[in-house]
Amino acid sequence: MKRAGQVIAVVAIALLIVAPLRLNGYLINLLYTTVLSVALAYGWNIIAGYAGYFSFGQIAFFGLGSYVTALIVVDLHWYWMFAALAGGIAACALAVPLGYVMLRLRGPFFAMGMFGMAQMVRVLVTAIPGTGAGAGLYLPPGSGITDVYYWTLAIALGSIALTIWIDRSAFGLRLQALREDEQVAGTLGVDVTRAKISAFTLSALIPGLLGGGYALFLTFIEPDSAFSSRLDLQAIVMTVLGGLGTVWGPLVGGVFMTQVAEVLWARFPQAYLMIFGGLLVALLIALPRGIVPAISARFGRRRA
Amino acid sequence: MSDALLVVSGVSIAFGGVQALHDVSFEVRRGEIFSLIGPNGAGKTTMFNVISGVLRPATGDVRFLGRSIVGRAPYAIARDGIARTYQIVRPFGRLSVIDNVAVGALVHARTIERARRDAREIVNFVGLGVHAEKPAASLTLTQRKRLEVARALSLQPKLILLDEVMAGLTPAEMDGMAEFVTHLSERGIAAVAGIEHVMRLVMRISHRIVVLDAGECIAEGDPKTIAADPKVIEAYLGAPIGPV
Repeated sequence: MKRAGQVIAVVAIALLIVAPLRLNGYLINLLYTTVLSVALAYGWNIIAGYAGYFSFGQIAFFGLGSYVTALIVVDLHWYWMFAALAGGIAACALAVPLGYVMLRLRGPFFAMGMFGMAQMVRVLVTAIPGTGAGAGLYLPPGSGITDVYYWTLAIALGSIALTIWIDRSAFGLRLQALREDEQVAGTLGVDVTRAKISAFTLSALIPGLLGGGYALFLTFIEPDSAFSSRLDLQAIVMTVLGGLGTVWGPLVGGVFMTQVAEVLWARFPQAYLMIFGGLLVALLIALPRGIVPAISARFGRRRA
Repeated sequence: MSDALLVVSGVSIAFGGVQALHDVSFEVRRGEIFSLIGPNGAGKTTMFNVISGVLRPATGDVRFLGRSIVGRAPYAIARDGIARTYQIVRPFGRLSVIDNVAVGALVHARTIERARRDAREIVNFVGLGVHAEKPAASLTLTQRKRLEVARALSLQPKLILLDEVMAGLTPAEMDGMAEFVTHLSERGIAAVAGIEHVMRLVMRISHRIVVLDAGECIAEGDPKTIAADPKVIEAYLGAPIGPV
C-alpha cells in the first residue's frame, strides 16, 4: 500500500516534469493554473487546516509577492526567479508582525479581519511608486510559461513535502492541539503564540513565492489580478472539499475541482457555473469533512 | 523559606462588578494533598485560572518554587511544573488519546516518537490503554476525566490542580480518584483539589483544606479544624459535618 503510493508519486512527478515538452499551449496553461491552485491550497491548509485559523486574506501575500517581483524585475533587472524569492521573503517579513496582531482574533473575527487586512495590503502595495497604481504594470517579456510552470511545480511539491512533515512533527501536533482548544494547549506547555505565528508565516511564504511566477505568467499585473479574490476563494474551497487539515486534501480537492470545472465548461459553456455550484453544495453536504477523510474512514485509518 | 511549593498571597480579581476573589492567601507544601473547597461560584476555578496563568490577578502574588509566576504565559507555568485539569473536560476531540497526552509529553521529550512512547505509558497507567488510538471525542465522561488526569501527568508536574475532580463520578469512581490522588502525593506530587461536595472524602484524604466562600478565604487548616469551624459550618452546610 505504502509502496504503491510511492510508485504513484514518482510516476506523477515524472509526468508533471515532462509534461511541458509534450503539451500544447492551452494545456500547459491549464496545467499551470491547476498546479498554482493546488499550491495555494496547501499554503492555506497550514494556517486554516492545521492551526484552525480561517484566513480570508492569504491572497495579500500572493499579491505582495507578485508586486515585489514585478518591481524588482522592472527596476533592478534581476533574474525573475531571484525576484520571486524576494517576494517570498517579503511575504514572511509581513506575516510575522501581521500575525502577531491578527492572531489575537479568533473565529469569524480573524477571518473578517484578514479579509480587511488583504484590502489594506493591496492599497498600500499599489501605492508604491512604479506600480502604476490601479492602471497596472508591464513586465519585460522574456521568460516563457515553461519556466513559470517549473517554478510553480517546485513550490507545489515543496509545500506538499512541508505538509507531510508538519503532519508527522511535534510542531504539527502542537498546531492541531491549539486548533482543538487553545487554552488547554497553553496549559499543556504549548507556546501557542509562537506556534500560530510560525504556521501563519509558512502559510504566507507559499503564496509569496507563487506570486512572482504569476506576474511573469500574466506579463502585466494590476491590483485585481495580483490580489485575485477568485484565486483566494478557490484555494479555500479546494481545501475544504478535499479535507481540511489533511495531507492530501488540497491535492485531491484541487485536482477534482479544476478538472470538473474544465469538463463542465467545455460541455455546458452557458450553464457550467450553475452546475458547478450545485455540485459543490451537494458534495459538501454529502461529505462535510471532505473527500479524503471520507475515503480514509471507509478504508480504515491510515495512521495508527 | 519552609518547604512551601506554592505560595498564594493576597490575590484579588474582579469581573465587572463581581469580586471573584478577594485577598486570598494560602500555601501548598511539597507532596501535599490540599483541598480547595467551597460552594459553586466561590471562586475555585478562578483560583486555578490565576495559578495556571490563564488569568492575571488584579493584586497579589503567586510564587512557585520561590519565584513569582504572575504574568508568565500559561505554557511557561506548565513547563515550570504546574499541571491542571478542567472542570468541564476539554479533550482535543479529533486527536487520538495518545496524541492528547503526547502534547504535554513534548515538554520533556525531545522527539515526537519519544513523546508518544511516554504518552502510551501514562495512558496505560490511567487505564485507557485499550482506547489509545481512538479519537478522544469517542470517550465516555469517566474516560475523559481520566484523560484530563493523564494529560496533566504528561507534564511531569510537581503540582497538579484538579478542578472539580469528583464531579460526575460514581461513589466507586470517587474512591478510585481519591486513591489516585493519595498515590500521587506518595510520589511527591502535590495536588490542589477543587471540590464542591463529597465532604467525607475531602476530610479523609486532605492534609490541609482552604474554604472559599464568595471569593473569600474563610478558613484554613487540617480537616479536623475545618470540620469544627463554625464559620465553615454556617457558610457551607448550615449543620455540623459528620464524623470523618
